[in-house]
Amino acid sequence: MGLLVLVLAAGFLVYSLTVGGVGSKPGGYDVTAKFGQVGSLAPGAAVSVAGVKIGTVSEIKLDPKTFLAVARLSLDPEVKLPSDSTAKITSDSLLGGVHVAIAPGGAADDIKPGGEIDNTQGAVDLFGLIGSVMRPQGDPAATPPATAPAPAANPAATAPDSY
Amino acid sequence: MAAADAAIPAVFKPLRSIGRSTLGALRMVGGVGMFTLRGVASVFTPPWFPNQLLRQLVAIGFFSLPVVGLTAIFTGAALGLNIYTGGGRFNAEQVMPQIVALGITRELGPVLAALMLAGRVSAAIAAEIGAMRATEQIDAMRTLSTDPFRYLVAPRLLAATLVLPLLTLIADIIGVAGGWLVAVRILDFNATIYMRNTMNFIQGWDVGSGLIKAAVFGFIVALMGCYHGYNAKGGARGVGRATTHAVVSSAILIFASDYFLTTLFTHA
Repeated sequence: MGLLVLVLAAGFLVYSLTVGGVGSKPGGYDVTAKFGQVGSLAPGAAVSVAGVKIGTVSEIKLDPKTFLAVARLSLDPEVKLPSDSTAKITSDSLLGGVHVAIAPGGAADDIKPGGEIDNTQGAVDLFGLIGSVMRPQGDPAATPPATAPAPAANPAATAPDSY
Repeated sequence: MAAADAAIPAVFKPLRSIGRSTLGALRMVGGVGMFTLRGVASVFTPPWFPNQLLRQLVAIGFFSLPVVGLTAIFTGAALGLNIYTGGGRFNAEQVMPQIVALGITRELGPVLAALMLAGRVSAAIAAEIGAMRATEQIDAMRTLSTDPFRYLVAPRLLAATLVLPLLTLIADIIGVAGGWLVAVRILDFNATIYMRNTMNFIQGWDVGSGLIKAAVFGFIVALMGCYHGYNAKGGARGVGRATTHAVVSSAILIFASDYFLTTLFTHA
């Protein structure tokens, strides 16, 4: 019995080291994406296409030259993304919890493992957005509901489909 | 004493029982303290008994593997399910691998392995040494000029302190495997990504602090078994009582020291 436990533990350790160890990735493939703002995105967050999870964020670090956040996404090898796909950081809900939603493009060639998603859209600073709507009004008594005008006031920084 | 007793008014009688139990508790603390010092001293000074140490390493370590493994796998699985449900309340199911790994390595692995060892080993040590005490084998050993501390206590203390970290390491691995099994088989996680999240997240100190805890717990388990067995009084009933006391006191000391060690590790 003791030997059996030892063997099982050793087997699982070997499995986890081969799967999770540095460099080796038999299961998924990695792509990177640069974002201007990742918000509360953290390693382990989901990566989805059309709402279906296809991978996770495995690492986030700052590019010291461009000051962009570089997110490494490890994706299901069965999903090949067209090279002009768009990665967008969106909220799961209003209470935090963000993930990366990928909108596939139409290009004929795929993003190779180790490649980069060029079209990205960073996280939206929700409170900054609300503040920018509320302050310019100048009339606190007649402040309209913040929810309705928020996307309209700043159409460049939208993430409307997640709310 | 008799004269002093007569001078005490009846009102103060209840106070005497408080005083008596306080003195008893202090005597117990002192006794354990002296026993600990003698035990540690006998670990570090010759003569050593390598055969005894080897036998204890096998008895405490190897034969505890099945019970530790079973505890770990079921705990990991249950922990995983609970974290998945709890995380789902704020759409954070994806943190499950990380929290399972953290919970197992920092807290549950060492504590549960130590508790199983307290039940299995502390009781066995107390019963063994208690029976030797009851049948006067310990006194016989002393007449044969063999120090019972060096021959009985030191190998057990050393073996448990060395072996519980190893058992904890096994418990950590199997506990994570339990969570992984539930996640992959029931909750539709991707096996590779679950494991990679775990390995990316877990840090050396998460495992290391658990192993340091485990060494302390191992010492406690063996110490309580030896102490209560060595001080067993009154034949078979005394041995039974020593066994119970060994298990209960080592469990309590494990939890208490776990709290203080965790405070030390998380604030330092």
